[in-house]
Amino acid sequence: MSSTAAGSKQSTVKQRAELALNDEFLRKAVKFTTERLRSGKKSASEEHGNWDDWRERGRQIRLHTIAHLDYYLNLFADNARANGVHIHFAQTDVEAVRIALEIAQRKQAKSVVKSKSMVTEELHLNRALDSIGVEAIETDLGEYIIQLAGETPSHIIIPAIHKNRYQIADLLSAEAGETLAPDTQILAGFVRKKLREKFLEADIGMTGCNFAIAETGSMVLFENEGNARMVTTVPKTQITLMGMERIIPSFEDLEVMATLLPRSATGQKLTVYMSAITGPRRSDDADGPDEMHIIIVDNGRSNQLGDPEFQELLNCIRCGACLNACPVYRHIGGHAYGGTYSGPIGAVLTPALNSNVAEWDDIANASSLCGACYEACPVKIPLHDMLVYLRRRKVESGNGSKLESAGMKGFSAVMGDARRMRSALKIGQFGQKLVVREGGIRLRLGPLKGWNTYRVAPSLPKHTFRDRWKEVDRDAQMKGKPLDPAVQARMEAIVKQRQQGGGHGHGGHA
Amino acid sequence: MDMADTHKEWLQQMELQSQAKQKSFIDGISAKLGRPRTEQPPVHPFRGAPDFWRTFEWTAEERIERFGANFRAAGGYVERLSDMDEVRRFISDKAVEWSAKYVVRQGQPELDELNLEDALENANVAVWNSSVDEEWKARAAEADFGVVLADYAVAYTGSITVLSSKNKGRSVSLLPTVLFAVIPAERMRTRLGEPLQQFDAIGREELPAGIHFISGPSRSADIENDLTIGVHGPGVVYALIVG
Repeated sequence: MSSTAAGSKQSTVKQRAELALNDEFLRKAVKFTTERLRSGKKSASEEHGNWDDWRERGRQIRLHTIAHLDYYLNLFADNARANGVHIHFAQTDVEAVRIALEIAQRKQAKSVVKSKSMVTEELHLNRALDSIGVEAIETDLGEYIIQLAGETPSHIIIPAIHKNRYQIADLLSAEAGETLAPDTQILAGFVRKKLREKFLEADIGMTGCNFAIAETGSMVLFENEGNARMVTTVPKTQITLMGMERIIPSFEDLEVMATLLPRSATGQKLTVYMSAITGPRRSDDADGPDEMHIIIVDNGRSNQLGDPEFQELLNCIRCGACLNACPVYRHIGGHAYGGTYSGPIGAVLTPALNSNVAEWDDIANASSLCGACYEACPVKIPLHDMLVYLRRRKVESGNGSKLESAGMKGFSAVMGDARRMRSALKIGQFGQKLVVREGGIRLRLGPLKGWNTYRVAPSLPKHTFRDRWKEVDRDAQMKGKPLDPAVQARMEAIVKQRQQGGGHGHGGHA
Repeated sequence: MDMADTHKEWLQQMELQSQAKQKSFIDGISAKLGRPRTEQPPVHPFRGAPDFWRTFEWTAEERIERFGANFRAAGGYVERLSDMDEVRRFISDKAVEWSAKYVVRQGQPELDELNLEDALENANVAVWNSSVDEEWKARAAEADFGVVLADYAVAYTGSITVLSSKNKGRSVSLLPTVLFAVIPAERMRTRLGEPLQQFDAIGREELPAGIHFISGPSRSADIENDLTIGVHGPGVVYALIVG
């Protein structure tokens, strides 16, 4: 199961990011959209008021559910079954795909219409359906566009964020067999008509699941276009792929999730459609599926359970707010992350799901640990702390950079010994004469390459702090007033607290 | 043995596998959580919205006003009408204005009384699931107008809530180009939690297959962030508040 991630990730984040950074349009588009979503979220959460109380409540509900996931998931499965749903459990991606394909084959399906589902992306289910001759059609406008382009989503909420209307017009014109003007209404109008036919002729409707309600066995979908409703209303068979952690206990808890999710994702008070589906159609209903399957997928999720550093990852409600807030995502876009999930959540979730925390090479290092993701997260997942845990595990497992460890060892040898430090500085001051230009070092060779491509490294000063220490010390003795005793006491208290291992928290956010 | 029988057998076989798998799957979760499996419902001290929110309520007039503002902001249309006669007149006028040919409506008694069948002279009005041998999804898909009676409405989010049943199709609020939702004023609530708590109270066995909250016309911003209306669902939605 980790083969999928390893297979699709042939290059480093740096190479993938360079692809993104060189694409001027992508950078503009990602910035524009994420900026818009971010300000939408900000005004929506401010208008709603008491935002931190709601976040805390959302976090508590998620913490509680995950802490008792065995009870709630079992309850959900029993209740959904009582509603007439066929429940399946899949430990791995391979198992989930096998079950989905078996249903499609049993139903002799020719086509499957799909609404947005990150789990099916994770499973590469479209490719698998294609391999048995079943056409899988993405029906979310953005997903449909990138499916025509043969690409993968680059944003969890706006998957085709990286395409402009001219590129989209070209793709859709090829599909239409005639030239369509690069006008949003015309393009969307074509897709509406085209997909209407697909909805009506499809044998199977396939969805993801935003929330599953344990006490009633219902599954809940949030969307704006109406395609998820189409997929769950028109075809005779419905298959829902659900991550095993999507559970909440009750409809009452859904109010909190419905308050947090749309506001955090798009700044809406509620998405245009919020649907709760409880079982297949009743015997005297005239629409809705005759047969409904829910495949509950683990695929690495349970590895987070019982891990104090990563269990909270399962609280994620997939809103995308951390992507929009992240300065790194906003520069490099989603494809640079090289996994199904991008942005800060993807940087942590991808290695966690693949259980190769130690090997995942580079994405955790492409973070400035600024904590904007934590601030944005509606259920307060400490993603920036998790990025540090990832880095630590990588080094501890011996998968850190050899050069970096050697450098750190050398640094500690030099810094730990005054004489070595003095000699090193002397050599540096002498040696740098060869490369200093206009007070800085611009050389792009060896270890300086990465830094000096965008910046100028400062040169060592002629007189170091150590050279000047005697002078500085004498001045301080003469001019210095004694420290205010109150300030001194406070500082000592802080030092003492630190020594006792206190001061732990999320960098002042807690 | 015919196809249907073998399929049924296959489903039963899958069912047995699934029940066996459920035990090991859930036991695996308990093991990872590092404790024996809990059979008793855990105490959930944080159920639902924060306490300060539960007592929040607008007056009847405020609810209607706020609903209108929210629904319009999402791109919907709102009319305040005094009685069902006005509703009939409003929909008839729109049918003329839009030259509507096909109309599908839910089979609720309140809508029967509207008698749109006679009022809309130039349109074919179909009543959802009123005969067994009709392709009802196709009737909804071709309809210009869909007419539904809301079960609830929520002012705070500007949402209309519709529940499915024999005479209330999910397709009627989804497939037609223009949607009319008739909302009796007394069904208007302040908070989303009010209808949601109702569903907990109704309980699993009595819940309908489909519960849908509708907060405006179908929309997308997937092409260059440009707002597009009516991507898959109705592009024009009228909320007709009565009383």
